[in-house]
Amino acid sequence: MSLFSRFLDGWRKYRKPGYYEKFDYHWTMTVDLDKCTGCEACMMACQAENNIPVVGEDEVARGRELQWIRVERYWEGEYPNARLRFMPMMCQHCDAAPCETVCPVSATYHNQDGLNTQIYNRCIGTRSCAVYCPYEVRYFNYYDHGWDSPLEQQLNPDVTVRGKGVMEKCTFCIQRIRQAKDLAKDDDRRRVQDGEMQPACVQTCPTKALVFGDRNDPESQVSLSMDDPRSYRVLDELNTDSSVFYLKKVDA
Amino acid sequence: MNVSIVPALKVLRPAAMLVIVVLVGLVLGYWANATFVPGDSPEQPIAFSHKIHAGDNEIPCLYCHTQARRSPSAGVPAVSKCVGCHLEVATEKPQIRLLMGYWENREPIPWIKVHDVPDFVHFTHKRHVLANIECQTCHGPVETMDRIRVTSRAVDGSAQAGQPWKMGLCLSCHRENEVENGTDCWTCHK
Repeated sequence: MSLFSRFLDGWRKYRKPGYYEKFDYHWTMTVDLDKCTGCEACMMACQAENNIPVVGEDEVARGRELQWIRVERYWEGEYPNARLRFMPMMCQHCDAAPCETVCPVSATYHNQDGLNTQIYNRCIGTRSCAVYCPYEVRYFNYYDHGWDSPLEQQLNPDVTVRGKGVMEKCTFCIQRIRQAKDLAKDDDRRRVQDGEMQPACVQTCPTKALVFGDRNDPESQVSLSMDDPRSYRVLDELNTDSSVFYLKKVDA
Repeated sequence: MNVSIVPALKVLRPAAMLVIVVLVGLVLGYWANATFVPGDSPEQPIAFSHKIHAGDNEIPCLYCHTQARRSPSAGVPAVSKCVGCHLEVATEKPQIRLLMGYWENREPIPWIKVHDVPDFVHFTHKRHVLANIECQTCHGPVETMDRIRVTSRAVDGSAQAGQPWKMGLCLSCHRENEVENGTDCWTCHK
Protein backbone atom coordinates (compact mmCIF):
# COMPACT_ATOMS: atom_id res chain seq x y z
CA MET A 1 0.00 0.00 0.00
CA SER A 2 1.47 3.33 -0.95
CA LEU A 3 1.78 6.20 1.44
CA PHE A 4 -0.85 8.17 -0.44
CA SER A 5 -3.47 5.44 -0.43
CA ARG A 6 -2.83 4.92 3.29
CA PHE A 7 -3.40 8.62 3.77
CA LEU A 8 -6.63 8.43 1.74
CA ASP A 9 -7.82 5.46 3.78
CA GLY A 10 -7.08 7.32 6.98
CA TRP A 11 -8.84 10.39 5.67
CA ARG A 12 -11.98 8.45 4.75
CA LYS A 13 -11.94 6.66 8.08
CA TYR A 14 -11.20 9.52 10.42
CA ARG A 15 -12.89 12.50 8.79
CA LYS A 16 -16.34 10.96 9.00
CA PRO A 17 -18.34 12.06 11.97
CA GLY A 18 -18.96 9.17 14.31
CA TYR A 19 -16.00 7.13 13.05
CA TYR A 20 -15.24 6.34 16.64
CA GLU A 21 -18.41 4.32 16.95
CA LYS A 22 -16.63 1.61 14.99
CA PHE A 23 -13.73 0.90 17.29
CA ASP A 24 -12.48 -2.71 17.60
CA TYR A 25 -13.09 -2.44 21.31
CA HIS A 26 -14.53 0.56 23.01
CA TRP A 27 -13.06 0.50 26.49
CA THR A 28 -15.28 2.31 28.93
CA MET A 29 -15.40 2.82 32.66
CA THR A 30 -18.30 3.66 34.92
CA VAL A 31 -17.87 5.15 38.37
CA ASP A 32 -20.74 4.74 40.80
CA LEU A 33 -20.44 7.82 42.98
CA ASP A 34 -23.12 6.50 45.32
CA LYS A 35 -20.84 3.55 46.08
CA CYS A 36 -17.55 5.43 46.30
CA THR A 37 -16.38 5.87 49.89
CA GLY A 38 -13.37 7.99 49.04
CA CYS A 39 -10.91 5.45 50.43
CA GLU A 40 -8.32 6.29 47.73
CA ALA A 41 -7.32 2.65 47.26
CA CYS A 42 -7.58 3.24 43.50
CA MET A 43 -4.91 5.91 43.73
CA MET A 44 -2.54 3.57 45.51
CA ALA A 45 -3.22 0.71 43.12
CA CYS A 46 -2.58 2.98 40.16
CA GLN A 47 0.65 4.24 41.67
CA ALA A 48 1.91 0.71 42.18
CA GLU A 49 0.81 -0.57 38.78
CA ASN A 50 2.02 2.29 36.63
CA ASN A 51 5.40 3.16 38.17
CA ILE A 52 4.25 6.56 39.34
CA PRO A 53 6.90 8.18 41.53
CA VAL A 54 6.20 9.97 44.80
CA VAL A 55 6.98 13.63 44.21
CA GLY A 56 7.00 14.82 47.80
CA GLU A 57 5.19 17.53 49.72
CA ASP A 58 6.95 20.53 48.20
CA GLU A 59 6.16 19.55 44.64
CA VAL A 60 2.52 18.82 45.47
CA ALA A 61 2.27 22.25 47.05
CA ARG A 62 3.43 23.73 43.73
CA GLY A 63 0.75 21.78 41.87
CA ARG A 64 3.18 19.36 40.31
CA GLU A 65 1.76 16.15 41.68
CA LEU A 66 1.79 12.87 39.76
CA GLN A 67 -1.30 10.73 40.22
CA TRP A 68 -3.17 9.33 37.26
CA ILE A 69 -6.36 8.97 39.27
CA ARG A 70 -7.29 11.32 42.05
CA VAL A 71 -10.27 11.40 44.39
CA GLU A 72 -11.70 14.89 44.39
CA ARG A 73 -13.55 16.09 47.46
CA TYR A 74 -16.60 18.33 47.35
CA TRP A 75 -18.03 19.79 50.52
CA GLU A 76 -21.74 20.56 50.47
CA GLY A 77 -23.58 22.66 53.02
CA GLU A 78 -22.35 24.33 56.17
CA TYR A 79 -21.25 22.74 59.41
CA PRO A 80 -22.92 20.93 61.19
CA ASN A 81 -24.97 19.85 58.19
CA ALA A 82 -21.98 19.49 55.87
CA ARG A 83 -21.76 16.59 53.47
CA LEU A 84 -18.66 15.33 51.75
CA ARG A 85 -18.80 13.92 48.26
CA PHE A 86 -16.07 12.08 46.44
CA MET A 87 -15.36 11.89 42.78
CA PRO A 88 -12.55 9.76 41.35
CA MET A 89 -11.16 11.63 38.37
CA MET A 90 -8.90 10.01 35.80
CA CYS A 91 -8.27 10.50 32.09
CA GLN A 92 -11.72 10.37 30.50
CA HIS A 93 -10.39 8.93 27.22
CA CYS A 94 -12.54 11.37 25.28
CA ASP A 95 -13.44 10.21 21.80
CA ALA A 96 -13.26 13.85 20.69
CA ALA A 97 -10.28 14.69 22.84
CA PRO A 98 -9.04 18.28 22.91
CA CYS A 99 -5.54 17.14 23.91
CA GLU A 100 -5.03 15.06 20.77
CA THR A 101 -5.61 17.90 18.36
CA VAL A 102 -3.05 20.15 20.01
CA CYS A 103 -0.02 17.89 20.33
CA PRO A 104 2.58 19.17 17.85
CA VAL A 105 4.32 15.80 17.54
CA SER A 106 1.29 13.48 17.70
CA ALA A 107 2.58 11.91 20.89
CA THR A 108 -1.00 11.58 22.02
CA TYR A 109 -3.53 10.06 19.66
CA HIS A 110 -6.63 7.91 19.58
CA ASN A 111 -6.08 4.27 18.86
CA GLN A 112 -8.37 1.64 17.38
CA ASP A 113 -9.59 0.60 20.84
CA GLY A 114 -11.04 4.00 21.64
CA LEU A 115 -8.18 4.78 23.98
CA ASN A 116 -6.55 8.13 24.26
CA THR A 117 -2.93 7.08 24.32
CA GLN A 118 0.35 8.76 25.10
CA ILE A 119 3.69 7.73 23.58
CA TYR A 120 6.24 8.79 26.16
CA ASN A 121 9.36 8.69 24.04
CA ARG A 122 7.69 10.76 21.37
CA CYS A 123 6.59 13.48 23.80
CA ILE A 124 8.70 16.63 23.74
CA GLY A 125 7.04 18.19 26.77
CA THR A 126 5.27 21.24 25.40
CA ARG A 127 2.48 20.65 27.96
CA SER A 128 -0.09 21.98 25.47
CA CYS A 129 -2.22 18.90 26.06
CA ALA A 130 -2.41 19.64 29.78
CA VAL A 131 -3.60 23.14 28.98
CA TYR A 132 -6.29 21.83 26.65
CA CYS A 133 -7.51 19.07 28.95
CA PRO A 134 -10.74 20.26 30.61
CA TYR A 135 -10.46 17.55 33.27
CA GLU A 136 -6.92 18.48 34.41
CA VAL A 137 -5.83 14.87 34.37
CA ARG A 138 -2.56 15.14 32.50
CA TYR A 139 0.53 15.20 34.65
CA PHE A 140 3.97 16.43 33.77
CA ASN A 141 7.32 15.11 34.97
CA TYR A 142 9.11 18.23 36.12
CA TYR A 143 11.99 16.18 37.50
CA ASP A 144 13.45 12.70 37.34
CA HIS A 145 12.06 11.59 40.67
CA GLY A 146 13.40 8.06 40.88
CA TRP A 147 12.91 5.55 43.63
CA ASP A 148 14.89 5.00 46.81
CA SER A 149 16.62 1.63 46.84
CA PRO A 150 15.31 -1.08 47.02
CA LEU A 151 11.96 0.30 45.79
CA GLU A 152 13.12 0.34 42.17
CA GLN A 153 12.98 -3.45 42.36
CA GLN A 154 9.18 -3.36 42.49
CA LEU A 155 8.70 -1.41 39.28
CA ASN A 156 6.32 -2.88 36.74
CA PRO A 157 8.40 -4.08 33.78
CA ASP A 158 5.45 -3.65 31.39
CA VAL A 159 5.28 0.09 31.97
CA THR A 160 7.94 2.58 30.93
CA VAL A 161 9.59 4.56 33.69
CA ARG A 162 8.95 8.05 32.41
CA GLY A 163 11.79 10.53 32.45
CA LYS A 164 11.92 14.26 33.02
CA GLY A 165 10.02 16.44 30.57
CA VAL A 166 7.38 13.92 29.59
CA MET A 167 3.64 14.18 29.93
CA GLU A 168 1.81 11.20 31.35
CA LYS A 169 -1.72 10.18 32.22
CA CYS A 170 -4.08 7.29 32.83
CA THR A 171 -3.87 4.66 30.09
CA PHE A 172 -6.75 2.44 31.29
CA CYS A 173 -3.87 0.04 32.13
CA ILE A 174 -3.15 -0.59 28.47
CA GLN A 175 -0.46 -3.12 29.41
CA ARG A 176 -3.16 -5.31 30.93
CA ILE A 177 -5.37 -4.86 27.85
CA ARG A 178 -2.44 -5.95 25.71
CA GLN A 179 -1.84 -8.99 27.89
CA ALA A 180 -5.53 -9.95 27.78
CA LYS A 181 -5.49 -9.71 23.98
CA ASP A 182 -2.36 -11.84 23.91
CA LEU A 183 -4.05 -14.54 26.00
CA ALA A 184 -7.17 -14.30 23.83
CA LYS A 185 -5.04 -14.97 20.77
CA ASP A 186 -3.55 -18.02 22.46
CA ASP A 187 -7.03 -19.48 22.86
CA ASP A 188 -7.83 -18.79 19.19
CA ARG A 189 -10.38 -16.29 20.33
CA ARG A 190 -10.65 -13.04 18.47
CA ARG A 191 -12.07 -11.00 21.29
CA VAL A 192 -11.34 -10.39 24.94
CA GLN A 193 -14.24 -11.54 27.09
CA ASP A 194 -16.00 -9.28 29.56
CA GLY A 195 -14.38 -9.32 33.00
CA GLU A 196 -11.22 -10.94 31.70
CA MET A 197 -9.23 -7.80 32.22
CA GLN A 198 -9.49 -4.98 34.73
CA PRO A 199 -7.35 -1.90 35.31
CA ALA A 200 -5.60 -1.74 38.66
CA CYS A 201 -8.06 0.79 40.13
CA VAL A 202 -11.08 -1.32 39.19
CA GLN A 203 -9.46 -4.44 40.52
CA THR A 204 -8.74 -2.88 43.88
CA CYS A 205 -11.97 -0.92 44.48
CA PRO A 206 -13.39 -2.42 47.71
CA THR A 207 -16.97 -1.28 47.06
CA LYS A 208 -16.93 -2.20 43.33
CA ALA A 209 -17.78 1.38 42.48
CA LEU A 210 -15.66 1.17 39.33
CA VAL A 211 -16.68 -1.02 36.42
CA PHE A 212 -14.59 -1.49 33.31
CA GLY A 213 -15.30 -3.19 30.04
CA ASP A 214 -16.00 -3.07 26.34
CA ARG A 215 -18.90 -0.86 25.32
CA ASN A 216 -19.15 -2.60 21.94
CA ASP A 217 -20.35 -5.73 23.73
CA PRO A 218 -24.01 -5.00 24.61
CA GLU A 219 -24.03 -7.73 27.27
CA SER A 220 -20.95 -6.51 29.14
CA GLN A 221 -21.24 -5.28 32.67
CA VAL A 222 -20.15 -1.80 31.72
CA SER A 223 -22.76 -1.54 28.94
CA LEU A 224 -25.49 -2.36 31.42
CA SER A 225 -24.00 0.02 33.96
CA MET A 226 -23.71 2.99 31.61
CA ASP A 227 -27.37 2.66 30.59
CA ASP A 228 -28.34 3.27 34.21
CA PRO A 229 -30.68 6.27 34.54
CA ARG A 230 -28.22 7.86 36.99
CA SER A 231 -25.50 7.91 34.36
CA TYR A 232 -23.91 11.17 33.24
CA ARG A 233 -20.58 12.37 31.91
CA VAL A 234 -18.49 15.10 33.46
CA LEU A 235 -18.41 18.34 31.42
CA ASP A 236 -20.55 16.70 28.77
CA GLU A 237 -21.50 20.14 27.49
CA LEU A 238 -17.98 20.44 26.04
CA ASN A 239 -18.79 17.57 23.64
CA THR A 240 -15.64 15.69 24.53
CA ASP A 241 -17.60 12.42 24.21
CA SER A 242 -15.69 10.92 27.11
CA SER A 243 -15.47 7.21 27.88
CA VAL A 244 -15.95 7.50 31.63
CA PHE A 245 -19.50 7.54 32.91
CA TYR A 246 -20.41 8.64 36.43
CA LEU A 247 -23.49 7.29 38.19
CA LYS A 248 -25.03 9.63 40.70
CA LYS A 249 -28.44 9.86 42.24
CA VAL A 250 -29.75 13.40 41.95
CA ASP A 251 -30.85 14.74 45.32
CA ALA A 252 -34.46 15.81 45.38
CA MET B 1 56.36 48.93 11.38
CA ASN B 2 57.05 45.38 10.45
CA VAL B 3 55.04 42.73 12.19
CA SER B 4 55.97 39.11 11.63
CA ILE B 5 53.96 36.08 12.62
CA VAL B 6 57.08 33.89 12.63
CA PRO B 7 57.77 34.25 16.38
CA ALA B 8 54.16 33.33 17.07
CA LEU B 9 54.40 30.29 14.80
CA LYS B 10 57.51 29.16 16.65
CA VAL B 11 55.52 28.96 19.84
CA LEU B 12 52.55 27.36 18.10
CA ARG B 13 54.48 24.63 16.33
CA PRO B 14 54.97 22.31 19.33
CA ALA B 15 51.35 22.89 20.29
CA ALA B 16 50.19 22.01 16.78
CA MET B 17 52.36 18.89 16.80
CA LEU B 18 50.86 17.87 20.12
CA VAL B 19 47.32 18.32 18.75
CA ILE B 20 48.15 16.24 15.68
CA VAL B 21 49.71 13.46 17.76
CA VAL B 22 46.68 13.39 20.08
CA LEU B 23 44.26 13.32 17.12
CA VAL B 24 46.15 10.46 15.45
CA GLY B 25 46.19 8.62 18.77
CA LEU B 26 42.43 9.07 19.18
CA VAL B 27 41.71 7.79 15.67
CA LEU B 28 44.05 4.81 16.14
CA GLY B 29 42.54 4.06 19.54
CA TYR B 30 39.02 4.25 18.17
CA TRP B 31 39.95 1.90 15.33
CA ALA B 32 41.72 -0.53 17.65
CA ASN B 33 38.83 -0.51 20.11
CA ALA B 34 36.25 -1.09 17.38
CA THR B 35 38.35 -3.89 15.86
CA PHE B 36 39.60 -5.78 18.89
CA VAL B 37 36.93 -4.97 21.50
CA PRO B 38 33.73 -4.94 19.47
CA GLY B 39 30.77 -3.64 21.45
CA ASP B 40 28.32 -5.38 19.15
CA SER B 41 30.04 -8.73 19.65
CA PRO B 42 31.55 -8.89 23.15
CA GLU B 43 33.75 -11.74 24.30
CA GLN B 44 31.56 -14.11 26.30
CA PRO B 45 32.68 -15.95 29.48
CA ILE B 46 32.57 -19.19 27.50
CA ALA B 47 33.42 -19.18 23.81
CA PHE B 48 30.05 -20.66 22.87
CA SER B 49 29.70 -21.13 19.13
CA HIS B 50 26.28 -20.93 17.51
CA LYS B 51 27.98 -22.16 14.32
CA ILE B 52 28.81 -25.52 15.89
CA HIS B 53 25.44 -25.94 17.62
CA ALA B 54 22.84 -24.39 15.31
CA GLY B 55 24.87 -24.56 12.10
CA ASP B 56 26.91 -27.77 11.92
CA ASN B 57 24.76 -29.89 14.24
CA GLU B 58 21.46 -28.29 13.26
CA ILE B 59 20.04 -28.06 16.78
CA PRO B 60 16.78 -26.06 16.54
CA CYS B 61 16.86 -22.62 18.19
CA LEU B 62 13.87 -23.50 20.36
CA TYR B 63 15.65 -26.54 21.83
CA CYS B 64 17.74 -24.24 24.03
CA HIS B 65 15.74 -20.99 23.88
CA THR B 66 12.61 -22.77 25.05
CA GLN B 67 10.93 -19.69 26.50
CA ALA B 68 10.69 -18.00 23.10
CA ARG B 69 7.44 -19.76 22.25
CA ARG B 70 5.67 -18.99 25.51
CA SER B 71 7.04 -15.76 26.94
CA PRO B 72 8.05 -12.28 25.85
CA SER B 73 11.71 -13.08 26.44
CA ALA B 74 13.48 -15.85 24.54
CA GLY B 75 15.58 -16.68 27.58
CA VAL B 76 19.09 -17.99 27.94
CA PRO B 77 19.21 -21.70 28.76
CA ALA B 78 20.19 -22.76 32.27
CA VAL B 79 23.57 -24.41 32.83
CA SER B 80 21.71 -27.69 33.31
CA LYS B 81 20.55 -27.51 29.69
CA CYS B 82 24.15 -27.35 28.48
CA VAL B 83 25.25 -30.08 30.87
CA GLY B 84 22.39 -32.29 29.72
CA CYS B 85 24.33 -32.92 26.53
CA HIS B 86 27.87 -32.13 27.58
CA LEU B 87 28.06 -34.84 30.24
CA GLU B 88 28.50 -37.07 27.19
CA VAL B 89 29.46 -34.81 24.29
CA ALA B 90 32.94 -33.29 23.77
CA THR B 91 33.80 -33.54 27.46
CA GLU B 92 37.53 -33.06 26.96
CA LYS B 93 37.45 -29.67 25.22
CA PRO B 94 38.77 -26.77 27.33
CA GLN B 95 35.59 -24.68 26.93
CA ILE B 96 33.48 -27.61 28.14
CA ARG B 97 35.74 -28.00 31.18
CA LEU B 98 35.06 -24.31 31.83
CA LEU B 99 31.33 -25.05 31.58
CA MET B 100 31.63 -27.97 34.01
CA GLY B 101 33.40 -25.61 36.42
CA TYR B 102 30.26 -23.44 36.53
CA TRP B 103 28.16 -26.61 36.89
CA GLU B 104 30.17 -27.94 39.82
CA ASN B 105 30.23 -24.53 41.56
CA ARG B 106 26.47 -24.24 40.99
CA GLU B 107 26.89 -20.83 39.42
CA PRO B 108 25.08 -19.33 36.45
CA ILE B 109 27.22 -18.34 33.49
CA PRO B 110 27.49 -14.53 33.35
CA TRP B 111 26.61 -14.22 29.66
CA ILE B 112 26.79 -10.70 28.25
CA LYS B 113 23.55 -9.59 26.66
CA VAL B 114 24.01 -8.77 22.99
CA HIS B 115 20.53 -8.40 21.55
CA ASP B 116 18.52 -5.81 23.42
CA VAL B 117 15.66 -3.43 22.72
CA PRO B 118 15.18 -0.15 24.59
CA ASP B 119 13.01 -0.15 27.71
CA PHE B 120 10.19 1.73 26.00
CA VAL B 121 9.69 -1.07 23.49
CA HIS B 122 7.28 -3.92 24.06
CA PHE B 123 8.43 -6.94 22.11
CA THR B 124 7.17 -10.43 22.71
CA HIS B 125 8.93 -13.44 21.24
CA LYS B 126 5.85 -15.58 21.79
CA ARG B 127 3.62 -13.87 19.23
CA HIS B 128 6.37 -13.83 16.62
CA VAL B 129 7.43 -17.45 17.11
CA LEU B 130 3.80 -18.62 17.06
CA ALA B 131 3.34 -16.67 13.81
CA ASN B 132 6.19 -18.79 12.36
CA ILE B 133 8.58 -15.90 11.90
CA GLU B 134 12.08 -17.31 11.39
CA CYS B 135 14.48 -16.30 14.17
CA GLN B 136 16.96 -15.26 11.47
CA THR B 137 14.51 -12.63 10.22
CA CYS B 138 15.55 -10.35 13.04
CA HIS B 139 18.68 -12.00 14.46
CA GLY B 140 20.54 -12.51 11.19
CA PRO B 141 22.42 -15.67 10.21
CA VAL B 142 23.12 -16.79 13.78
CA GLU B 143 23.94 -20.33 12.63
CA THR B 144 27.05 -19.02 10.86
CA MET B 145 28.39 -17.02 13.82
CA ASP B 146 31.16 -18.35 16.02
CA ARG B 147 30.62 -15.47 18.40
CA ILE B 148 27.17 -13.93 18.50
CA ARG B 149 26.98 -10.49 16.97
CA VAL B 150 24.23 -7.88 16.83
CA THR B 151 22.67 -8.15 13.41
CA SER B 152 19.60 -6.34 12.29
CA ARG B 153 17.69 -6.51 9.06
CA ALA B 154 17.56 -3.76 6.50
CA VAL B 155 14.16 -2.76 5.19
CA ASP B 156 14.97 -4.60 1.93
CA GLY B 157 15.49 -7.81 3.92
CA SER B 158 19.29 -8.03 3.87
CA ALA B 159 21.19 -8.70 7.11
CA GLN B 160 23.12 -5.76 8.54
CA ALA B 161 25.89 -6.85 10.85
CA GLY B 162 26.75 -4.59 13.75
CA GLN B 163 23.56 -2.53 13.46
CA PRO B 164 21.04 -2.30 16.27
CA TRP B 165 17.38 -2.72 15.42
CA LYS B 166 15.44 0.34 14.40
CA MET B 167 11.75 1.11 14.44
CA GLY B 168 11.58 0.97 10.65
CA LEU B 169 12.40 -2.74 10.73
CA CYS B 170 9.36 -3.53 12.89
CA LEU B 171 7.09 -1.23 10.90
CA SER B 172 8.11 -2.47 7.44
CA CYS B 173 7.56 -6.10 8.48
CA HIS B 174 4.23 -5.29 10.12
CA ARG B 175 3.12 -3.52 6.94
CA GLU B 176 4.30 -6.29 4.61
CA ASN B 177 2.45 -8.94 6.59
CA GLU B 178 -0.55 -6.70 7.22
CA VAL B 179 -0.48 -7.35 10.95
CA GLU B 180 -3.72 -6.46 12.74
CA ASN B 181 -3.19 -3.00 14.29
CA GLY B 182 0.47 -3.49 13.37
CA THR B 183 1.17 0.20 12.93
CA ASP B 184 -0.57 1.38 16.08
CA CYS B 185 2.08 2.99 18.30
CA TRP B 186 0.96 1.10 21.39
CA THR B 187 1.40 -2.25 19.68
CA CYS B 188 5.15 -1.92 20.18
CA HIS B 189 5.63 1.04 22.53
CA LYS B 190 4.87 0.94 26.21
